[in-house]
Formats: sequence, structure tokens, C-alpha cells
Amino acid sequence: MTEEQQLILGLHNVSKTYGSGDLAVTALKEANFQVLGGEIVAVMGPSGSGKTTLLTIAGALLKPSVGTVSICGVDVTALNESGLASVRREKIGFVYQSFNLLEALTAVENVRIVVQNHNRNGKAAEHGDRALAMLETFGLSHRINSLPKKMSDGEKQRVAIARALAKDPDLILADEPTANLDAKRGHEVMELLRQKAMEMRKAVVVVSHDNRIREFAHRVVWLEDGRLHERHPEDRFY
Amino acid sequence: MLLVARKNLFAEKIRLAISVGGVALSVFLIGILLSLFRGWDEQVGGFVEQVPADLWVASEGTTDFLAASSVLPDALTATLQISPEIDQVSSLIVRPMEVHKSSDPPTDTFDIQLVGYDPAVGLGGPLRMVEGKSPPGPGEVVVDEQTRKRYDVHIGDELRRGTKTLTVVGVASGGDFVYTQVAFVTTQTAVEFLSLEPSSVRTFIVLTLDNPEDAEIMAQRLERATPGAKFVTPEQFASETRDRILGNILPILIVVLIVAFIVGLAVAGLTIYTATVEKSREYGILKAEGFGNPFLYRVVFEQSMITGFLGFMLGAGMTIIIAPFAQDTVPQFVVYVRWQDVLAVASATILMSLLAAYIPIRRIASIDPVTVFKG
Repeated sequence: MTEEQQLILGLHNVSKTYGSGDLAVTALKEANFQVLGGEIVAVMGPSGSGKTTLLTIAGALLKPSVGTVSICGVDVTALNESGLASVRREKIGFVYQSFNLLEALTAVENVRIVVQNHNRNGKAAEHGDRALAMLETFGLSHRINSLPKKMSDGEKQRVAIARALAKDPDLILADEPTANLDAKRGHEVMELLRQKAMEMRKAVVVVSHDNRIREFAHRVVWLEDGRLHERHPEDRFY
Repeated sequence: MLLVARKNLFAEKIRLAISVGGVALSVFLIGILLSLFRGWDEQVGGFVEQVPADLWVASEGTTDFLAASSVLPDALTATLQISPEIDQVSSLIVRPMEVHKSSDPPTDTFDIQLVGYDPAVGLGGPLRMVEGKSPPGPGEVVVDEQTRKRYDVHIGDELRRGTKTLTVVGVASGGDFVYTQVAFVTTQTAVEFLSLEPSSVRTFIVLTLDNPEDAEIMAQRLERATPGAKFVTPEQFASETRDRILGNILPILIVVLIVAFIVGLAVAGLTIYTATVEKSREYGILKAEGFGNPFLYRVVFEQSMITGFLGFMLGAGMTIIIAPFAQDTVPQFVVYVRWQDVLAVASATILMSLLAAYIPIRRIASIDPVTVFKG
């Protein structure tokens, strides 16, 4: 592991069980998973395989039943709600399947509010400049004052990626980022995410059941029935 | 933070209008009722307080000016006059009664509080003349300006009770008790008009002291020396008169004030709650992005406070604009706006806003950010 390729995300023997007794369902079983800085990892698997559980545990949103999760060297399983929120604010950027932009805010406001939350001591003008710069990077200069309802799905996802990267996180977690986009837009969005993540040396985990994601990943992990299997990107899944 | 609150709030203009309207209606009701109460409070005790007397004397057991059940011998006036600490003494004959204008049918009666006073002393007579002459002569009366306004009584009109009449010669101000007004005649006219038997009976005695600051001590001393009579300061007597009228209204008023507060709270609370439920997913997104609960609580709190502020401004504006029109249309609608009451209504609005935010905040606390990854 080089200095540039430090461990950003580590899951160690992580299991997650919902419910108890006869109704208990284990969504993730003894998962071991590491992602390095500058690495793009695709987590693939069929619906119900535990992808969302893996993503939310990796995103410090859900605590595992067993095992530990470290993000940038911090054992997040030991943190309280406030500590988890702090890790999410400082270290993680999310890209969602359904974009999850705030409907009442314009594109630039959607990005700015996240920057503002991350850099609380900064000046408002700095937050605004950062948000504008990120949107320009993603070719959205003409959309800065548009509300999400006025934008295409591709534009919304680009704003969402700009928002995820705007706070300069170490880890990007993307949940089915192409699911609501047509093939062309999906390809564009993934290419943009890959390109920017590589430029900014981010660790990226993309959860998807879309086989086309593989071509953007350095590594592909297969998830089935809650168990992780390492596979080579050239392997065929379907 | 204000950005999210403001944008969310103004994104749904109809809901905002309902919410602000509900708070405004509540503020208007609270404001108008408080002003009305203050107006009445000011009005019903005003005359008693403004008569330039240091002490009022009434028979023991008398509760107030308006019931006027006091009976005193006129001889007491002379007795008090010889007291070295007393400057002026004057007796009053006060009777509530119904009269009608001679030009109107006998059934078109209205209430007056007839006050017979000694014009030579002047105590207990008209406070401020608006029109005509004072003191009135034999068979003449000075009416209050509210009597003129409400019952169209003018100088030259005759007020009749049974076979007896009084000619209106003047109009004064300061004698309005909301549901009745004082009308001034000389003591002799009062005796004749009321066919008072014995004619030496008086209702109250008003007096001034050489040292007005000793009024309370003098009252105690005089009361001990005069069995059957009570001596009270104008403030005490005014307070008893206010209690007489407002004491019956106050419980009703409090109930209506509470209802108005609950209406405002319910409308603001429900609209902010539905807005919060509708935006649950977005609050979940913010939680996932690392925004802590305090930030989200502030968003809801700010929404509630903005709603409260707009509602207060609208409600207070409605009160200020509508109150004078109402007062002109309904004379009994006497309002008096005090800055302390404006502050009280503002405080009630803040409390309303805080309470309206409470349940939505509890809702936000329970939002699981994991849900934003579903669908």
C-alpha cells in the first residue's frame, strides 16, 4: 500500500441481522472489505443481496450487528450518533439512485448547503464560490439557479455528484447511480464520476446491479445472499 | 440554515397562507379581546378616578359607583366640613335610570347614570365640557358625548322619565361606562326629578383634603369616627367599580383567549407538521449528509418562527386597522391598545410557534437516514 493508496474504508468480519428469534434475517454475513484511496470498487449483486445494507454500514448510517467498520482509520462502530454524523459530514459523499436533491433549493444552493455544513467556520462567499466551481466542473454553469424539477435526470445526477465531491470527502458511496438514467446518460455520469474521483484521489464504492458499471471499476465485488466474493472486472456475472 | 427553512416554507404558498392566516386570526382575536378588555377597564373606572376628589364616602357595604346602593344623610356633609384636614366637601345623588327623548316614543328608552351635584363646589360635576353650558340650571342636564353619539341626543332635546323632563344644555366627556353614561344635574334638580323622599338623602360624598397624600390615613380615621360610612380613595373605588363590571366578563374573556390561542396553535402546528412529514425524505437526506439533529430542529423551529412572525404582523395589522372601524360602528366596542399588551400578544405568538414546532421536531428525531437509500 503506497502513501497515496491508504486504506479509506475497511469492513472487518461485519454481519448485520435484522429482527430476532425466528424472524431474524441476516443481510450481511462476515463481510471483509477494504477500499483504498484512488480506488473505484463496484459492488454488484441481485436485488435483495444486501447491497444497500453494505452501503449504509460503510456510510456510517447503520451499525453492524457484529464486526468493525473503519473509515480513514476511525472505528465508526464505537461512535455515537453525533460522531457518526460528523464522520458522514467530514469523510463521506453520497450519490443516490434517486438523486435526492432538496426540491426547494436551486442547484447551487443544494451544493452550497453541504459545503457550508462541512466548512462551518468558512465565509458564506467561500461556500458559494466552491459550489459554483463544482457545478462549473460538471458543466452545469447554465443550471446554477435551476430548481431540481426544472432539470433533466442526467443534470440532477451531475448536481448530486458535484454535491458529493464539493466537501472534498475521502470516500464516495454511490447507490445505483445509473438506475434512473438511460444508457447514454448513465455512461456519461459514470465516466464523470470516475474521472473526477481519480483526479481528486477519492475512494469510490459503487453499488449496482447494472453490469455496465464494471467497465468503470478497478475492482468488482460480488454480493449474494449477504456474502461478499472478490471477482475480476472481466468476469461475466449474468 | 434560514435558507432551507425559508425555501421550504415559501415553496408551498397555499399552505404558508393557511398557516400564517391561522396564526394571524389567533393574534387578531387575542389582540382585539385584550384591547377591548383594556378599553373597558379604562372606561368603567375612568370617571371615578378623574373626579378631582381625594376620598369618596359611601354607606357601609357599598361595592361600587354604578350599583349606587349607597344611602347617606346630607347632614354628614356638614359634619365633614368642620374637620380641619378637609378642604372641600360635596354630596352627590347618583341613580341609574332609563329615560327617553320627548320626541321619541316612550318605549325608546336608554340608560343614564343621573348625577346630582352641587355646582357651587363643582366636585363630581362634568369633567370636560365639549359643547354647551355648565353648570346646568334648574331642570337642565349635561349629557355625555357618548350619549349624544349613541342616542342622537343634542342640546335643546328633552329627556323624559314619566311626567318629568330635563332639558339638555351641554355635552361633556369622560363619563362613559360603556353600557351607561353619566348625566349631570344640580342636586336640587335631582331631588325634584327623582321625587326623592326624604330629600336629604344622598348617595355619595366626595371630598378633598388639605394633604392629599394622607388620603389613606384620613380614610381610616374618618371611618372610625363615622359609623356606617366607608371612606375610600378614588383608585380603590374605581377598582371596585371595574371589578363589578369586568369581574363577570373576565372568565369568559379568558376562555375565548385560550380558544383563540389553541386555534392558532392548532393551525400552525398542523401545517408545520404536514410540511415536515412531506419533507421527511429531505430531512433524511440531510441526516445522511451529516447534518445533526440540532440543525434540523432549527430548520423546523425557524419555519415555525417565520410563520409566527408573519402571522403576528398580519394579525396585529388587522387589529390596528379594524379596531377603529369597529369602534366607530359599535360604540360599546371601546378598545385601548397598550404596548404591554402588544408585547404579551407577541410573547403568546412566540409560545405558539415554539409549541407548534415541538411535534414536528419529535418527528424529525425519529427519521432514519437509511430510508433515503430506499427507492
